[in-house]
Amino acid sequence: MNQFKYVSPKTKEEVLEILKQEKSEACIVAGCSNVLPYIKDKKLPAKLLLDISGIEELNYIKESEDEIYIGAGATISGLINSKIIREECNILYQAAEQFADPTIRNSATIGGNLADASPAADVAPPLLVLDAVLEVESMDGKREISLKNFFVGPRKTILRDDEMISSIKIKDDSINKNGCFIKLGLRQAMAISLATVALILEVEKDKVADVRIAMGSIAPIPLRLIKVEEFLKNKKINDEFIEEAVKKVREEVNPINDIRASAEYRRYISGILFKRAFRKLTDSPIIQLTN
Amino acid sequence: MGEYKIQLTVNDKKIIATAKAEESLLKFLRRNGFTEVKCGCEKGDCGTCTVIMNGKTIKSCISLAMQANGKEILTAKGLEKIEIGRKLQKSFVQHGAVQCGFCTAGMLMVAKGYIDKNPEPDKAEIRKAISGNLCRCTGYKKIVEAIYDVAAENHRLEGDINV
Repeated sequence: MNQFKYVSPKTKEEVLEILKQEKSEACIVAGCSNVLPYIKDKKLPAKLLLDISGIEELNYIKESEDEIYIGAGATISGLINSKIIREECNILYQAAEQFADPTIRNSATIGGNLADASPAADVAPPLLVLDAVLEVESMDGKREISLKNFFVGPRKTILRDDEMISSIKIKDDSINKNGCFIKLGLRQAMAISLATVALILEVEKDKVADVRIAMGSIAPIPLRLIKVEEFLKNKKINDEFIEEAVKKVREEVNPINDIRASAEYRRYISGILFKRAFRKLTDSPIIQLTN
Repeated sequence: MGEYKIQLTVNDKKIIATAKAEESLLKFLRRNGFTEVKCGCEKGDCGTCTVIMNGKTIKSCISLAMQANGKEILTAKGLEKIEIGRKLQKSFVQHGAVQCGFCTAGMLMVAKGYIDKNPEPDKAEIRKAISGNLCRCTGYKKIVEAIYDVAAENHRLEGDINV
């Protein structure tokens, strides 16, 4: 077994210094819910476990006049218990409530779920539709990365070796309140998503005024469905239009076969999940399970 | 290199011992005699290794021993020193909420953690609360009823105070 080292700095500054020195030798850990299984499977290339779970300055949820800030160290339970998240970006609350199980939600962090960059990361689709921006820090300074540009492949991000996510920023926007997140797993708890959909929507006079849609587990990365969004905008809502949109969803997703589901099934169910979310937000009658 | 001295409290007992950087809290506890913490899947799926750390319910197989440094841990054996713990143990026995017994330690801990935060849950809430813990005998019904009875008693007690 690999011999690891461990360090638990008390401040963000110290973390950045260690990252500058150790680069890819260091792996930031917090909730550890994925890290320990990686270690067990000998899949963690790093040598140093850089524990940030004790750093209070990374664990917060606060709002300014027009923005919400979530510290990378905020736990999933923290999101669920936050009035700000429940009221201002309920779609993230919905995802947090379906995340793993209640016990793991006490340890797992929002920053960890993003940095781990699983295509099935459940906080990613809601944050994508909320147009979240990551504040990323290193000894060289701070930069902002739109979450849309953050993921590049399964478990791969554009984060540099010496950088860490310090916070997640969400701009206040009225559309953020009308969101729906649906997770399809093989069971109700501790399920790795087969497919997820996050949809936020603004309707004006039976027309789609604005819409953002993202999905998880249906492509190598958590994906914003830009083409579907373009198709939906300014269209009049009727059954025919929704069926057309379902087709577009199935065109834009790019799923794989794995142990949990086939690509074919994921492509099919993507359309259904979209339709369910859309109907839920437009109060249309409950859909049939065909098509 | 790679080994560190840590100090923690387990069921009110002070422990000073060495832990490896990558060692799970589960392995550490079992190595130091706390074998009431059960080792199941070791990847966070089954919940039988659940303990309470500084008031928070966690799965010890996916927590680092190092992260327990300076913390207070409660395991199933520590429950007998706490009123709610004793009530839960009794209720599990009365309901026969134990078949093979492998999940029981974890179930008790998650129940204790949950009732501390939400003293009057209904059965649906209890089922959600224990959703991270597997019972492969599928004896969930009795487990839920055992926890619910303790919660219902809480409810009644609170009612008494109000009168």
